[in-house]
Amino acid sequence: MPNDVLVIVEYKDGGVRKVSLELLSRAKEMTSESSSTLYAGVIGYDVKGIIETVRAFADKVISVDSSVLKDYRWDTYVSVAEQLVRKYNPSMVFGGSTVTGKDLFPRLAARLKTTIISDAVGIEWNNGGPRIKKPLYGGKIISWLTCKEGAVPVVTFRPNSFAITNRSLNGEVIEESMEIISDTRFSILSRDKGGAQKVDLQEADFIICGGRGMKGPENFQILEEIADIMKGRVAASRAVVDSKWRDYDDQVGKSGKTVSPKVYVGCGVSGALHHTMGMDTSKVIVAVNTDPNAPIFSYADYGIVDDLFDVLPALKVELTKTKKEI
Amino acid sequence: MNIIVFVKQVADTEARILIKGDQKALEIENKYNLNFFDEFAVEEAIRIKETMKDSQVTVCTYGPKRAIEALRTAIAMGADRAVLLDNTGLEADDPLIVARVLAAFANQDGFDLILCGRQAIDDENANVGPMAAEFLGIPHVSAVVKLDAVDGQVVKVESEVEGGKEVLEVRLPALLTAQKGLNTPRVPLITGVMKAMKALIPTVDPTSLGVPKGEMEHNASKAVTLSYEPPQQRPPVKIIEGETPTEKVRNLIKALKEESKVL
Ligand SMILES: Cc1cc2nc3c(=O)[nH]c(=O)nc-3n(C[C@H](O)[C@H](O)[C@H](O)COP(=O)(O)OP(=O)(O)OC[C@H]3O[C@@H](n4cnc5c(N)ncnc54)[C@H](O)[C@@H]3O)c2cc1C
Ligand SMILES: Nc1ncnc2c1ncn2[C@@H]1O[C@H](COP(=O)(O)O)[C@@H](O)[C@H]1O
Repeated sequence: MPNDVLVIVEYKDGGVRKVSLELLSRAKEMTSESSSTLYAGVIGYDVKGIIETVRAFADKVISVDSSVLKDYRWDTYVSVAEQLVRKYNPSMVFGGSTVTGKDLFPRLAARLKTTIISDAVGIEWNNGGPRIKKPLYGGKIISWLTCKEGAVPVVTFRPNSFAITNRSLNGEVIEESMEIISDTRFSILSRDKGGAQKVDLQEADFIICGGRGMKGPENFQILEEIADIMKGRVAASRAVVDSKWRDYDDQVGKSGKTVSPKVYVGCGVSGALHHTMGMDTSKVIVAVNTDPNAPIFSYADYGIVDDLFDVLPALKVELTKTKKEI
Repeated sequence: MNIIVFVKQVADTEARILIKGDQKALEIENKYNLNFFDEFAVEEAIRIKETMKDSQVTVCTYGPKRAIEALRTAIAMGADRAVLLDNTGLEADDPLIVARVLAAFANQDGFDLILCGRQAIDDENANVGPMAAEFLGIPHVSAVVKLDAVDGQVVKVESEVEGGKEVLEVRLPALLTAQKGLNTPRVPLITGVMKAMKALIPTVDPTSLGVPKGEMEHNASKAVTLSYEPPQQRPPVKIIEGETPTEKVRNLIKALKEESKVL
């Protein structure tokens, strides 16, 4: 069919990543409009659980399950993804603009010699062609792109770009076995999964970010507690990361990560342009700062002008109450 | 060891960017820098050279004439040689084309190792590195935070992966993309700046690299920009009032629940 879409599914710790469910949900809306097929590609080893989850979101789930694919490597995964694209012939390939996605999809696009549009935040259909929304220059400009006829673009999207809708589809499962080619010129000596149980910063719905106003690393404990209550993540400004109070993995901004959670709470963050570039696509921005003239208030939806050391304990108590009500 | 660093000149974060009347083009204030992540790549190449004698560091960009300034920055830091692949008249910013041209240059020039930035801060693509590696048929490693050039044959690197780190061994020739944390880029010494100002930077006609001209032109790209628009403006901030911090927090939560419906 002309408008079939293939979503390459990402998963982590045995669960499908939110970003993949978001892409499947959006792609399903699009393929339904044109009575096309939505394929979910599941690549890995022992992925039965993943397939079960994904079936509810796609018309067809194509899985390639092999012990060779146990751990992600671009060589083996590109080899499989390339064959999936060639065999199922979608009009577009979707993937997440994640750490893995940024490693895999450019390599895949180059192998297919096809267009790649990455780090997009939206897509629409317009007269039979896609209209893809992509921020440029740290969000200062929004661009809209399309592809010429016959292009089979690989499009990657930022996490939190779309809502998840489970349609309980019960998609057909197709198990493919194919030759998997690996590149013997590199080998992985060791892997440190780090804080694997933590919510991924770019996928978190709730982010509480500490700036230099937090005064020291020990004070981040209360942010951790609030993040836990909200099942979210703690983030940090570069000033905090440079002071070694938090890991670089936590950094939001131009030289860190770009996030768009439902709620971002900045505590003792001044709101320098380099920082706001990484978070101004958040749905709701809250800022806590003693300085009523802090630039962050030009980006925030809600502001509290007060000492964060008085505000945070109260915030913890009130959010705990809110969670109990639900 | 022959090291090539692909660098991109990008608009400064502070540069004013205007959307032109027809929404089809941008006007960028003349404030450009060497891409943030490319500084780590240049620095690392120079460090390798400092430990492995007989190494040569070449920086290369596919860009307009003004991009020579970014090349000069790299020379001031200590790169031996710079090449501008002048894209005047061939202004496609499609990563597929850029990667192909850069790969063609590397192929012709010869190399053991290529370093890139993890991503360019203007398009945030993170595409050109892995794509160029694919065109060259060599392995790549993304987001490298530690590099140990064991000998001229193999490099041992640590790279950032989803939620953690990975240690890899890669046989050369290979391409690595530099992530923040790899090193602290040096501030050029005045002697370096002087040298860079005087350096003769050759311009290479990209059509001489073997990629057919028709495949480098703007309309060879299958991605088409329809329009540009400013981001949606947020309404002005609502400062939450209250007698005490607790009262403010209660009012905030009320607003998050009832107004913005995010709790
Ligand atoms: C090339 C480049 C890249 C950069 N990339 C990034 C990036 O990716 N991410 C990033 O964040 N920054 C980045 N920066 C740095 C950025 O410009 C700012 O310097 C940085 O964001 C400031 O961090 P901050 O807001 O934590 O600290 P500050 O600017 O020092 O702000 C601290 C704030 O805390 C408030 N405060 C103090 N005490 C209290 C209290 N008790 N209660 C409440 N509020 C209080 C103060 O009023 C102040 O507004 C970059 C800079 C450059 C040059
Ligand atoms: N036009 C270019 N010339 C040289 N190197 C480039 C160019 N565009 C991108 N690169 C390199 O590729 C990296 C990733 O760029 P991008 O794919 O645009 O995010 C950059 O950090 C540079 O190292």
